Amino acid sequence: MGKIRRLVLDVLKPHEPSIIVLAGQLSELSGIDGVNISIYEIDRKVENAKITLEGSDLIYEDVLKVIEENGGAVHSIDEVVAGKIIIEDAETPQDVRR
Amino acid sequence: MNLLDELQRLKEYSGIAEIGDIARRYFAMNAFDGILTMIGVLMGNYSAHVEDATIVVSTGLATCIAMGISGLWGAYLTEAAERKRALIALEGFTLTDLSRTKIGRASRAAVIIVALIDGFAPFFAALVVLTPFLLSAILRDINLSYYLSLGMALVALFALGAFLGKVSKESILLSGLKMIVAGLMSIALSHFLRVSR
Repeated sequence: MGKIRRLVLDVLKPHEPSIIVLAGQLSELSGIDGVNISIYEIDRKVENAKITLEGSDLIYEDVLKVIEENGGAVHSIDEVVAGKIIIEDAETPQDVRR
Repeated sequence: MNLLDELQRLKEYSGIAEIGDIARRYFAMNAFDGILTMIGVLMGNYSAHVEDATIVVSTGLATCIAMGISGLWGAYLTEAAERKRALIALEGFTLTDLSRTKIGRASRAAVIIVALIDGFAPFFAALVVLTPFLLSAILRDINLSYYLSLGMALVALFALGAFLGKVSKESILLSGLKMIVAGLMSIALSHFLRVSR
């Protein structure tokens, strides 16, 4: 099976542990080169985070374990890139805004 | 698992469960209680003209132990209930079981740490005040033990006030003096109980 190079996850998590801690722990996983976490919605007790991970060989189970350990729940997997290189999604006529 | 890792984990738990703030509050409140209770015990003995140091030590130590157990038990049960409630509320938002996550463990660690602080703070604060009576064999004069103990209580109160002053970034001297006033008031009011023989 091809290696996963990029993952984009939609995660609901409590405010603590912070995204600084979460990003640090995710970046320590093997096969991960970089992590980006951005908060796009904040509630009283929880926040919604978009987690982008890139690397040479991402293991989703390990990523999930770290997120769950920190109290987060993956709501959806929004993007996956696998293979020898990272490719962006191709633009189609449907994507062109009029 | 080495000590550094454990400390790191404790620091992380402290950040998650905000242990530091509440522990500091419990420490100050209960150490204050411990000192004032011991002033009460001392003044009670002094008013009753107790001149046997062993009686003061035994009543003092019994009070220390009772305060320690009271703090430990009370804080454990209260904190466990409050933390559980908070975790359930958080689970209501995440819709997941958080008990086996870092958050659940931090919550349980907070209960134990806070209970220990709540128990040991009054115990040790009271024990410090009682020290001159523990050394009564050396001091010999019972009145000297009373005065030294009450003096130590006031010093301990000042130190506690100074600590709170540092926490609130106010004047350490003023904060310490405010605490001493409480001790002096307690001594003065108890003094009226003094029974004349």
